[in-house]
Amino acid sequence: MGIVWASIATLGVLLAGGLLTWWLEPRLLKAFGSTEPGPAAPLDIRKNPRPSQADPLTYYGAPIIALFGVVWATVCLPWGPALIPADVNIGLFYFIVVVDFVVLAVALGGWGGNTPGSVEACYRIVAQLAAYVVPLGLAIIGPIMMARSLSTVHIVEAQRDAHLWYIAPQLPGFVLYLVTGLMQVYRAPFLEPFAACIDRGVLGACGGWPGVLWRLALAGLLFVVAAMGAVLFLGGYAGPWLPGWLWMLIKTLAVMVLMLWLGHRVRLRGTADMLALAWKFLIPVGLANVLLVGILILLGVGQGPFPLVGSAP
Amino acid sequence: MIAPVVEWIAFGVFAFIAVAGALGMTTTMSMFRSGIFLMASFIGVAGLFILLLADLIALLQVMMYIGGMLVMILFMLLFMHDPGGAMMSTHMSLKGPEKWFSLGLARRQTHGKHPHGQHEGDHGGHGDDMPMQDMSMYTAIKRPAAILALLTGALLIALLVWRPHWAVVHALPDQDSPTRIGELLMGKYMIAFEGAGLMILLGIFGAVLVQRPATPPPAPDRDQLKAAIDETPPPIEDDTLEPEVLDLREDEDR
Repeated sequence: MGIVWASIATLGVLLAGGLLTWWLEPRLLKAFGSTEPGPAAPLDIRKNPRPSQADPLTYYGAPIIALFGVVWATVCLPWGPALIPADVNIGLFYFIVVVDFVVLAVALGGWGGNTPGSVEACYRIVAQLAAYVVPLGLAIIGPIMMARSLSTVHIVEAQRDAHLWYIAPQLPGFVLYLVTGLMQVYRAPFLEPFAACIDRGVLGACGGWPGVLWRLALAGLLFVVAAMGAVLFLGGYAGPWLPGWLWMLIKTLAVMVLMLWLGHRVRLRGTADMLALAWKFLIPVGLANVLLVGILILLGVGQGPFPLVGSAP
Repeated sequence: MIAPVVEWIAFGVFAFIAVAGALGMTTTMSMFRSGIFLMASFIGVAGLFILLLADLIALLQVMMYIGGMLVMILFMLLFMHDPGGAMMSTHMSLKGPEKWFSLGLARRQTHGKHPHGQHEGDHGGHGDDMPMQDMSMYTAIKRPAAILALLTGALLIALLVWRPHWAVVHALPDQDSPTRIGELLMGKYMIAFEGAGLMILLGIFGAVLVQRPATPPPAPDRDQLKAAIDETPPPIEDDTLEPEVLDLREDEDR
């Protein structure tokens, strides 16, 4: 694929996924009986909040940076063996890094909005970043170890060759990914930066096109993180009968529904709770998961019929 | 792999981000913007790394600077008197890059709206002709320091240019550098790598241990501290800036 077509395809995928999520999420939340939409708060186009003392550079730049981060993350999502905008050889590391741009953007927009709620959101989101990054990395290391590659396509192919979805040998890793994924997309129990008590943080200070871009970026973020969960643990596009992209979409939606449903089983957590949970519980679990995966690999679980040792991917 | 034109354009964009970010970092009045400009500068350098096919280093650079810099900016904000730069850019006359990189920071002043003499007592006799406080960061050492920095930069560039010759290698860099780096870290340099990791971990433990009080503060002090935290702060008396208002108005476009 040429660079132009790859760019158009990436944008198209993100637009389709983001709009689907934007449409679907409020309905799911309603079905789960949630009263706190968090980042999925609807956009009221009659109200156009404009902070009177905003820092225009960061206030208007932030939603664009957020959307850029999510678009860049879409680049390494595979929708078929050859249906991927760019098969980056360090795809997963790239994914973790570019999703951080959304955190940067919320911090920028929060500071730039300069209302009490949005500046509070700026502080909360950085605390959230400090909470989830390490356990998220530990959750992702498991599939990387088993597939012996950082490339998303290789991870899907390794699961297909081994006839084994990584959710089976790495159930703790999958649960860890769901929890840290919820922290990463700021959904139900961990929606402190977008809580109603600080007037939805950045979203409460933005209307007009920044408001639309913010919501598209946050919906796209949920879609992208769920899709990466499907790639890592559910075999991505691999599946019988149906075409690959359809399998990928079904699995993505399944992960998304599971995340949102699990998130609404517990009460909302504050930033301090979340930091304590991450550093006292999730990181030890993640380390134990890495050890477990190492033992399983030595026992030959999840390795294809053709040994990958020594073969450069 | 990439067309040379695209490569040159990308180089231009990344180099511009790196240089303009550095300039903005040193000249803007806002501490927050300053940190963000520094981050932008480093991300521009990361783009140059990608052009050199060193994508792993580029991503490491971006990851370290987004997370680390955001936390650092927060600590800077907590220590600063005027982290948003609103006071400095409102009360100072800025020129050149200082003006351009501080655009939009200045606040409307409510001074002019009030009739003269109304606030006479509040300002302790200063009244409306309160002298423009010199809040600039100008110090006598600024100009010599700038010259010294420019000379150092020129010297570095000159050293690069005068270097006898650059070895030109036609082989492409290794496409699978993450594997090579991983093998080096876990093989040849394992002791150093693990040792550094262990030392950092011990350093974190030590920091946590040192900052913990040996005994909790006595109960009366604790109540006093808690009362001090809960107390509403006194209003700022000589604040000439408008209060922050979230302007919820009907959209005129509809």
